[in-house]
Amino acid sequence: MLLTEKEGRAICEKLLSYVKADDAVVGVSSENYGHLRFASNAFTTSGARENVSVGITVWIDKKRGAASTNEMDDESLKATVALAEQLARISPVDREYMPTLSKQTYKPVNGYAEATSNISVTSRAKIINDVITACEKANVIGAGFHQARGSAGASATKNGNFIYEQSSLVSLATTARTPDGTSSGYFLRNHFDVAKLDTARIANEAIRKALDARNPRVLDPGVYPVILEPQAVADLLGFLAFSFDARSAEEGRSPFSAPGGKTKVGEKIFDERINIYSDPWHPELPGSQSAQVGLPAEKIVLVRNGVLENLFYSRFWAKQKGKEPTPGPVNSIIESSQPPVSVDDMIKSMDRGLLLGRFWYIRGVDPRSALQTGLTRDGIWYIENGKIQYPVKNFRFNQSLTQLLAPGNVDMIGKPERVGSSEGQGGSASLLPALKVKEFNFTSQSEAV
Amino acid sequence: MTTSRRDFLKSAGVAAGALSIASLPSWIDSVTAAEEAAANGIDKNALADIALKTARKLGVTYADIRINRYRNESIATREQQVQNVSRGQNFGFGVRVLYKGTWGFASSRSVTPDDVRRITQQAVEIARANSIYQRKRISLVPVEKVVTSWKSAFEKDPFEVSIDDKIQFLLSLNEAAMKTKGVSFVNSFMGFVNEQKFYASTDGSRIEQYIIRANPSFTVTAVNRANGDFQSRSALGGPQGMGYEYIEKHDWKHEAEQAGEEAAMKLSAKAVDPGKYDLVLHPSHLWLTIHESVGHPTELDRSLWMEANYAGTSFLTPDKIGKLQFASKIMNFVADRTQPAGLATVGYDDEGVRAQRWHLIKDGTFVDWQTTRDLAAMTGKKTSYGCNHGDSWGSISFPRMPNVSLQPGPGNTSMDDLIAGVEKGILIYGDGSYSIDQQRYNFQFGGQVFWEIKNGKRGEMLRDVAYQSRTTDFWNSCDGLGGQSTYELGGSFNDGKGEPGQSNAVSHGCPVARFRQVNVLNTARK
Repeated sequence: MLLTEKEGRAICEKLLSYVKADDAVVGVSSENYGHLRFASNAFTTSGARENVSVGITVWIDKKRGAASTNEMDDESLKATVALAEQLARISPVDREYMPTLSKQTYKPVNGYAEATSNISVTSRAKIINDVITACEKANVIGAGFHQARGSAGASATKNGNFIYEQSSLVSLATTARTPDGTSSGYFLRNHFDVAKLDTARIANEAIRKALDARNPRVLDPGVYPVILEPQAVADLLGFLAFSFDARSAEEGRSPFSAPGGKTKVGEKIFDERINIYSDPWHPELPGSQSAQVGLPAEKIVLVRNGVLENLFYSRFWAKQKGKEPTPGPVNSIIESSQPPVSVDDMIKSMDRGLLLGRFWYIRGVDPRSALQTGLTRDGIWYIENGKIQYPVKNFRFNQSLTQLLAPGNVDMIGKPERVGSSEGQGGSASLLPALKVKEFNFTSQSEAV
Repeated sequence: MTTSRRDFLKSAGVAAGALSIASLPSWIDSVTAAEEAAANGIDKNALADIALKTARKLGVTYADIRINRYRNESIATREQQVQNVSRGQNFGFGVRVLYKGTWGFASSRSVTPDDVRRITQQAVEIARANSIYQRKRISLVPVEKVVTSWKSAFEKDPFEVSIDDKIQFLLSLNEAAMKTKGVSFVNSFMGFVNEQKFYASTDGSRIEQYIIRANPSFTVTAVNRANGDFQSRSALGGPQGMGYEYIEKHDWKHEAEQAGEEAAMKLSAKAVDPGKYDLVLHPSHLWLTIHESVGHPTELDRSLWMEANYAGTSFLTPDKIGKLQFASKIMNFVADRTQPAGLATVGYDDEGVRAQRWHLIKDGTFVDWQTTRDLAAMTGKKTSYGCNHGDSWGSISFPRMPNVSLQPGPGNTSMDDLIAGVEKGILIYGDGSYSIDQQRYNFQFGGQVFWEIKNGKRGEMLRDVAYQSRTTDFWNSCDGLGGQSTYELGGSFNDGKGEPGQSNAVSHGCPVARFRQVNVLNTARK
């Protein structure tokens, strides 16, 4: 059972009543989590977890200590508070200590659906049976993962702030492979409301991609124009809004650093149609109502019309630099200033290039240019004269993300869609568009399917 | 001028010695089932009886219960300040059942007889709901009944060492790293984990295990503010399945100083020219290449497409066993859950199978898999190699990687001997950027420090190096292995796999090794 606001408040008040330290922030979180996995067209593992845990951070003479537990009896809670205080006493002064927040006012966010949190195991089994049946009918081998989570948590400070939030998330990912193992398709979507998760579409798209990617040809690696479907954009850029940190930029160790200890704020770093922002109240992508350390979240624009408008400041760094702290980001939205272009129209407009739907095993290579390496996965197609010609084998890429979105490289931008990173298993989401770009750097071939 | 932590405590009028955590509350250091019962009134054996009896009554063919406590501690510092000191613990249980050939699992933090009964029923309900549509019934190979306890080999329990000593140690590392001009930042970290695991199954086994692991690390960054360049150098010594003695025995301070010097040197190092090079790879680097391109493709669940939706499958298909020349004939890769100081070293796995040692690659040929009881049954094997693991009481256990290590060469070959045989090459230390495809064919690895090798001698420092290769091409290009004296153990504290994602700690030992004509990229060029 998830904690109600009343229960969350009572636990926070109890924890604070045990605190003798000068300052403290306490939190309690609860979750209901269920999952079901399938592979080789059969059910594999499936389970459930219920948990409640508390975290306590205290400061004594500006010295910090933190402790956590999931044992909720009074003796354990008292012992955990005492442990945090013991750790604080023997720690050096926290030079970045900022007094915890006093009472804040939050604007509610609607990101919780009861039906998602309490998903029925029998209806979930039926949904996955339908996915497997669709795979069997198409003569492909299905694998996938369904998860549903409900969370409720409360947090309070010694200085009088309190917040309670509920959220939920359901996701389904499906991989379809041809029995000979020469072709594979993948599709993933999530939502906070289980009623809005189109599981049949997810299965059908994965199957369609597997069938369309049969008999791939070998293409030389090199620089190609590409169309990236929203899933590929999520895999590559889903984290982008969270990388605009002022401190690392001002310390000279970020792609947004400029020579001489400066930053690129005010510079046109991306194509002039690109806007990157965070909006806690977006109906399709509700974020948390509280941003860093409990500041009430706000809509924050990071890049407007390609110009770097904001870097985000922690409370400590803002104080150091004489700035206001930034209450965000809490989610990631990329959209065009111009009317969106559909993927079909992108294909029609392409003389020669590639269409791809997923990237895999993406890792940073050079933080100065946000250079990433990784691979294409689960379908990549060659386009010529506005038409898909044939599937091709996978590639490894080495691509700078700042160059990817740079002025002159972005050709067309699609309509943002709610999509989660595939390496992140769809556990979070962003609103991201398909992108057509002029140059994408593939450095070698991969035989992997 | 830096102020040492001890000086600070003195000036603040605080006696450091009096402040070590001498007596922790009893609920966080109980060790055995008997002690748990005495401390908290939780009788694990009685709870196991309830779970297994309930499951049997509901018609399962197999059930296990794991009642586990996890303790962790982490200390993070940067430059002269402490960023975080925290301790956490969590406790709970999970029940796994096999009903009509279908797995079900449920778990809770509330460890009471009523909750054990309720959660067992829930695990069976989940299995039952899914079993209606099950196409392929899962079965298990048998295992011997075991009633025992096991403790990992550590000398000094890190949870008994004072926090102040640990902080002092990290700040001294930072000071050592910051000595070099040009070094602007250093982050250092120390983390410890203690797992107290109880397992009981319908096979009659009852196993208690107590495991300690240590994870020290640091990263030094040098910045050239004039041109906006920055370079980092991370620690070469990785996590190990040891106690606090690992912190005390390894020469971390010397390494931090060296890291500072090397980070600053990297700013003005020569950019590598892309092309084919012979590579001499130090164990602090090679462990990660082993992990990704030998450890993962020999997981049997990947080969059977059980991981197709996430981690991927494997180019090692069942027909290649005993036939594929995976590596050059001088190479032997051994899976070993008994390896001293190994992060994946245990007494028993999470389904009651004793820890073992076996060859995956013998004289270069691919000969065997990593298995669990259900995977062994799927492939007609009679026993499991004991690779089942769940990362929490709340996670269903499933196949995870054992320690996988490359055996040293038979002689006393040194790193210098291997370098002497290279005309144009690169010597690489430390793990850097890494990426490999979903069937483990194509990979790219960076590193921490790169040295040019010219005419049999180590030359100047290089930068922006990464190599790309194909797994079997790479391992077959190895023509030189260092001897036992060059053997070191690297590893990862957090190897991710599975859905929902789980984390596993795993070690990989190896000697220094030489590879011929590998494709090298310059990562700073497009």
